Amino acid sequence: MQRLVTSTSLLRSAKDQFSRLRARGRWFSSMPEHAATGSKNEEPVLPRFEYSPPRYMGPTAEEIVRKRKEFLSPSMFYLYKKPLNIVHGKMQYLFDENGRRYLDGFGGIATVSCGHGHPDVVQAIVNQTNNIQHSTILYLNHAIADFAEALASKMPGDLKVVFFTNSGTEANELAMMIARLYTGCQDVISLRNAYHGNAAGTMGATAMCNWKFNVVQSGVHHTQNPDPYRGAFGSDGEKYAKDVEDLIRFGTSGHVAGFIFEAIQGVGGIVELAPNYLTSVYSTIKKAGGLVIADEVQCGVARTGSNFWGFQNHGIVPDIVTMAKGIGNGIPLGAVVTTPEIATVLTRRNYFNTFGGNPVSTAAGHAVLKVIEKEKLQENAHVVGSYLKERLCSLKDKHEIIGDVRGRGLLLGVELVTDRKSKTPASAEVLEVMDNMKDLGVLIGKGGFYGNVFRVTPPLCFNKQDADFLVDVMDYSMSKL
Amino acid sequence: MANRKTLTYIVNAKWVSNLSFIRRFSSSLQPPELPPFDYQPVPYKGPSAHQVFEKRKKFLGPSLFHYYQKPLNIVEGKMQYLFDEDGRRYLDAFAGIVTVSCGHCHPEILRAIEEQNKLLQHATTIYLHHAIADFAEGLAEKMPGNLKVVYFVNSGTEANELAMLMARLYSGNLGMIALRNAYHGGSAGTIGLTALKTWKYPIPQGEIHHVVNPNPYRGVFGSDASLYAQDVQDHIDHGTSGRVAGFISETIQGVGGAVELAPGYLKMVYEMVRKAGGVCIADEVQTGFGRTGSHYWGFQTQDVIPDIVTMAKGIGNGLPLGAVVTTPEIAQVMSQKIQFNTFGGNPVCSAGGLAVLKVLDKENRQKHCADVGSHLITRLKNLQQKYDIIGDVRGRGLMVGIELVTDRKDKTPAKAETAVLFEKLRELGVLVGKGGLHGNVFRIKPPMCFNKDDADFLVDALDYSMSKL
Repeated sequence: MQRLVTSTSLLRSAKDQFSRLRARGRWFSSMPEHAATGSKNEEPVLPRFEYSPPRYMGPTAEEIVRKRKEFLSPSMFYLYKKPLNIVHGKMQYLFDENGRRYLDGFGGIATVSCGHGHPDVVQAIVNQTNNIQHSTILYLNHAIADFAEALASKMPGDLKVVFFTNSGTEANELAMMIARLYTGCQDVISLRNAYHGNAAGTMGATAMCNWKFNVVQSGVHHTQNPDPYRGAFGSDGEKYAKDVEDLIRFGTSGHVAGFIFEAIQGVGGIVELAPNYLTSVYSTIKKAGGLVIADEVQCGVARTGSNFWGFQNHGIVPDIVTMAKGIGNGIPLGAVVTTPEIATVLTRRNYFNTFGGNPVSTAAGHAVLKVIEKEKLQENAHVVGSYLKERLCSLKDKHEIIGDVRGRGLLLGVELVTDRKSKTPASAEVLEVMDNMKDLGVLIGKGGFYGNVFRVTPPLCFNKQDADFLVDVMDYSMSKL
Repeated sequence: MANRKTLTYIVNAKWVSNLSFIRRFSSSLQPPELPPFDYQPVPYKGPSAHQVFEKRKKFLGPSLFHYYQKPLNIVEGKMQYLFDEDGRRYLDAFAGIVTVSCGHCHPEILRAIEEQNKLLQHATTIYLHHAIADFAEGLAEKMPGNLKVVYFVNSGTEANELAMLMARLYSGNLGMIALRNAYHGGSAGTIGLTALKTWKYPIPQGEIHHVVNPNPYRGVFGSDASLYAQDVQDHIDHGTSGRVAGFISETIQGVGGAVELAPGYLKMVYEMVRKAGGVCIADEVQTGFGRTGSHYWGFQTQDVIPDIVTMAKGIGNGLPLGAVVTTPEIAQVMSQKIQFNTFGGNPVCSAGGLAVLKVLDKENRQKHCADVGSHLITRLKNLQQKYDIIGDVRGRGLMVGIELVTDRKDKTPAKAETAVLFEKLRELGVLVGKGGLHGNVFRIKPPMCFNKDDADFLVDALDYSMSKL
């Protein structure tokens, strides 16, 4: 294979080089050991990966787009100008229909925690599927019990009763219902810019207009978001907390069902709640008789690195914790964990979830917890995440367009603005950079109300070389703007 | 002793030629035997029933209920059979609540799941992948009319939530109508549609009204659909602004006790609802995929075409998968905002779902359900002649219900007897389900590979158990 960097290429203009790269249709997977240099003029190289994907013989991207248009929801969107046909995944890499390798910086939306096709998780799934896949909890099966026990052992305080669902939405719906039943009150408070789901109740808690359909969503109030970058009070958590007090005093009967939050808002653009906010709000909610619900769908399961759960970074112990996404490495699985006392409210009637807690999903979930521990993925998230954040901060010094770099562990956000003072969202530039990064072999996500925040939430096996490559590609792409 | 007439009748009866005749004739004298099955389960080395039960009590909450006084530890499954920790085999007549459609660990489904798991398990629909597109196409092909836009979700509850949202957005109205005795889900929104008090928590469930259930057995109008339909019109005229969002129903109510709607009901109601601006939603979570035998979808038994169809359970043979199918017009309203489901349509579930469609077609399961189902129902109706406690035998295909009453006239639910028989059946090796508001209905909804021998065994076991009451 040709060497990436020759003396001639260094002399070529950046634009020429870029279009040549595209025309050649590079195969990064077989590139030699050339290390990423972060230089403006050299294209960064994907870290080595000793693996060849199986050859893809299925339908092409065009055929799939045609079928999607005909048979799938018209509101279904995809990323990139030329949508990517992802056919195979291995650890932190994805492969398209041509066998080209990409660094997965998005993790299927913070979902693939151990890595695509992680052998231990796949093994657990295959073994259990061959044994018994589904029987419902009307009969006993050890998989659900063992997994519930393992999950409970990861929880502080008295949080040890688990309800299994199939998604984050189902988990948050159940959490909200439990809070309302337990307190006998209806009002739930959530944060502006939050995302909690898309069913009737959770759509109410979700607080971004483009995710809220025009249907009745009663019983939820949205409080000021303690957003250190865009919020009125900067990082002063306690000032934002006052709004919750006001809301309860004037907008409710004085007693509420509960408060639901994400410790780091995911869809909202990786917004980490201002420090000291949660401790103040916690006591306010308790005074009003409410329950505190931590939505750990994105920030949970070791992703923040410093702690297993996002709420632990804020020094509180919630009454209910919900999770999904990373808990199953991609298998449809969600869970609600609460205290035995609160759990008794569901005994008033029957609550049942046909698929929830099925042997395969719980076996996979259990395997995920084991892999995280065995491979020390939480520590890795912390180390690599901090390193990555550091490099991104240096990038911020270099490019004016980067307004903010934030997040924790491998839940990071890069907000792009056209003007650092007025913080005008650079939504168009984000799309362009994202597309360029894809062409260079890096897939990331985007979020935030204005769609101007890069979301970097890779599988937790992401390493330093990957981090370097990601930043170098971002650097290179931004220089081409 | 049988007299000449009875003997002649027996000799001339169709089922004499069957070898198992001997067994059946003496079924009330000895416990029946499971049909043979050439398969040895893997020796189980995991935690015992007691250990699992203790952990459940500690970590899974007090609201988690289970079947049987001595809960059953099910560790392995193969086609229509289940195995407990001692390697004992049971006939699974409930299929994990009407969910295991092709059969436990059906080899082709397993292969599809395994192969896809090794390739790519999850990436979301923000990237392309052929599995979701192929599966959506496969499902759309099975639908009549203009029903061809598919939304993938992870459960029946999610599907019904989405259907309700679509109905309200498309019609611009709020009021939903559902049937008393219906079950549509366990989330706050679908609890409103559900109409059985045991499943309804005391939370606000606004803008949903329940109409009189067209229940041929217990309903006040018997099988007269037009009188029941009149209740819907009454409600629209007097209980709403005259405009509604939609109507949702199961064609054979599942949790409610295998209640088949009075014939002709849906045709009339669909017209009324559409006149009032509403959409018609068919909940096919239990009745879909050929289970009714006569048709692929339950709603087809009532000769209607809904505007939205929801499904789950059998669609994936146990995979956490649900779907909503609707028309392009209705789908259009959803494009006003972003509607996204992280796990919905993931490659593994889509590959599994497509494999299920293929297996059901290849193995002719719909016809099989019709054949075995009618044999089963015939035998059960004969049993009904023998035992007064059987108040009603109903259903179609492999979606069958047996309602037990202590008095055929008053139809007093035989709750206690049902519970006793339920346990007895388990001891004999038959696992059935229970339903109905009073818990007095046996639900027989096995994996669709259930055959005539299994049906005979089940009826014999029931016969034997009832004779011992």
